[in-house]
Amino acid sequence: MGGSASLLPREALGEYQELTFLSKQEILLAYKRFSELLPKEERENACSARVPKSRILTLPELRANPFQHRICHVFSTSDDGDDSMSFEDFLDMLSVFSDSATSDIKSHYAFRIFDFDDDGTLDRKDLEKLVNCLTGQGEESRLSTAEMEQLIQNILEESDIDKDGTINLSEFQHVVSRSPDFASSFKIVL
Amino acid sequence: MFFFLTFFIWTCMKHYFQQLLCPLSFRRFGNSLSEYFHLLQLRYNTLKVIGAEFGTSVLSYFIFLKWLLTFNIFSLLINFSFITIPQFLAAEPNNLSFTGLELLTGAGYFQQTVLYYGFYTNATISKIKNGPSYNMQLAYIFTVGLYFVICFLILLFSIAKSFWRNFINPQAYSVNASKLLCTWDFNITNEKAVKLKQKNLSMQIKEDLTEVNWEVLSVSAKERVVCISINFASWVASLGTALAACAGVYFLSTNNLKLFVKGHRNDLESQAAMLVLPVVTSLLNAFIPFFYSWLGRLERFKTPGQHIYVTITRNIILKISILGILCYYWLGIVAASESQCWETLVGQDIYRLIVVDFIFCLLGSFFGEFLRRIIGTTVYVSLGLPEFDIGRNVLDLIYAQTLTWVGILFSPLLPVIQIIAFSIVFYVKKVSLMMNCQPPRKVWRTAQMTTSFIFLLFFPSFVGVLALFSHTFRLKPSEECGPFRGLSSMYAAVSEWIEILENYTASKWVVWIYHNLITSELFFFILSTLVLIVTYIYWQIIEGRKTMTKLLYKQISNEGKDKMFLLEQLRSLQRAKQTPSAPGGQGQAGQS
Repeated sequence: MGGSASLLPREALGEYQELTFLSKQEILLAYKRFSELLPKEERENACSARVPKSRILTLPELRANPFQHRICHVFSTSDDGDDSMSFEDFLDMLSVFSDSATSDIKSHYAFRIFDFDDDGTLDRKDLEKLVNCLTGQGEESRLSTAEMEQLIQNILEESDIDKDGTINLSEFQHVVSRSPDFASSFKIVL
Repeated sequence: MFFFLTFFIWTCMKHYFQQLLCPLSFRRFGNSLSEYFHLLQLRYNTLKVIGAEFGTSVLSYFIFLKWLLTFNIFSLLINFSFITIPQFLAAEPNNLSFTGLELLTGAGYFQQTVLYYGFYTNATISKIKNGPSYNMQLAYIFTVGLYFVICFLILLFSIAKSFWRNFINPQAYSVNASKLLCTWDFNITNEKAVKLKQKNLSMQIKEDLTEVNWEVLSVSAKERVVCISINFASWVASLGTALAACAGVYFLSTNNLKLFVKGHRNDLESQAAMLVLPVVTSLLNAFIPFFYSWLGRLERFKTPGQHIYVTITRNIILKISILGILCYYWLGIVAASESQCWETLVGQDIYRLIVVDFIFCLLGSFFGEFLRRIIGTTVYVSLGLPEFDIGRNVLDLIYAQTLTWVGILFSPLLPVIQIIAFSIVFYVKKVSLMMNCQPPRKVWRTAQMTTSFIFLLFFPSFVGVLALFSHTFRLKPSEECGPFRGLSSMYAAVSEWIEILENYTASKWVVWIYHNLITSELFFFILSTLVLIVTYIYWQIIEGRKTMTKLLYKQISNEGKDKMFLLEQLRSLQRAKQTPSAPGGQGQAGQS
């Protein structure tokens, strides 16, 4: 633990503390876990290396999460579209999922994670994929087409305020604001 | 009534601080503070593991347990430093011998130690001649009083904060389906737990869909009558059982007293006889809730939330009424009896109750979770693993804490016992949870239930204890033991002190506060009126906001329709512009 602290420069640590919602311990722990994902030769410049998606998904916190692919996609700033993450992307992700992030930030990113086609709204197809993620891929737990239709109809009736058939960011944030458990369940801590 | 005043003050403070102070500087300060507390990593890891496997609902039980532990640690620090340490300086030697049975019964050797009220001196302690003196009577009253005032404030702020966060957003519609958008618990990291949660979620969605269809069908009048009569019968049965339990406890306790006062034998038989009352009380508290949950299964409730609330209400009524009968027995009968030191007797009773309750908690964990798992996996495989019953366990915690609060006046070091008990319970429950239980199946609204539990801790427990104390202060203390011997009531110590203070001009303000604020009825009347007015204002604001919300919803939906209409117009005009033979080809620019 002491070794990795000397590898992350002090100004960088201070900067990260300013820019994210994480504390010093959390940033150091994140650095340690991130460098463990890299092969030995690249651990020296962990700050500038990129970790491929397959390695990120081996983290125990993400391994079993049904939204793992969407999380990697949303937080990755890779130009190649391969969803690889740099250390700053990783910190970004941990910051949004941390305890001290505000509910606004969390709901904003939750919206982006649930928006499977990245078009800025949650339409019926997005909602269908969301429900499938929530109920799992097993045969008994999948919903039938009729049930899915009914469920999506109910969801849209309750949350689509301007009745345009999709849920935009403000409507989503409105729904989330009425659920007090959201902030504590939208949390991943290393 | 202070609740709403605090609520108002809290809102104002929050509003101003958010506007004036930069949130960043606060965060930096908080960060540096938390760096010094990273030693608490151990506990933090335990909680994280629990949350990862079982979700935030089960985690809330452990967080509640930790919170109660801090109350007891705080009480221990205050009592130990202000009452016990001075008492050590003026202690009398203890002539009794120590046998192991004292740990269970609290009598015997412990009777002449700082554990009980009776040991404390009523003298003014001063080690150095003409040096500073320490008035034990005032110290005792003020220490206990200060502790309760601070607890009161902490509980009030916790309730106000919880209530603000979880109930204030006016919920105009019931939101079932759209809750799905925010239910996924990202804390869970165990693969099996995730699969289980997905299965439960899918079952629940299917159940909800069919339930909605059921509610749409009209329920016939005959069925409704049957439903209501079953509900009524269940309530009668549960209240009847509670009443019967109270009567039993009362009968047993009065007989116990006869045993005690008449013969002061110290042999094994009488010691065992002292344990009968706590064991019977704990048995009643352990088994009657099973009867209540069986009753609950017979009835039909509109929502599962209603079921939980009804069960919790019945359990609370049972526990509080048994405790109430015991308090009546202690303060009404034991206090008036001819025993030597009634406060110490009451303290010993409470000590035994706490120890036996703790033992029953461990036994309950053993039978309820460990054996049930063995039965569920080997003999009756259809039963499966047991679930961690959050409601039952939290109520047990609240009951234990109430007992501690009731006993603090009679046994100042009682929080030590409770700290040990709570720490052991924490680890035993954690181990039992990991080994034996499965994650909860039904959705448990953590935030709302936590608010309800803090409210239950405050309202029947804490307020009840305060009422108890205000009664105890007017009773006559025993003549031969304790810091208030010889006075007509515990309260007389304070009034005597005020009379002494009246002779000094420097402390006239203390006397003024005492006469005009604490003992005057007018002050409390004005305060209550103010709080009622503030509550009424807030209620009107909430009603107004609800109406406003409805209007705004309509407005947004209408604007959506307007947008659709205008888009249609635009499209039809563009189509008209494209077809050259259409007669209405002019006037397309500058429209819509």
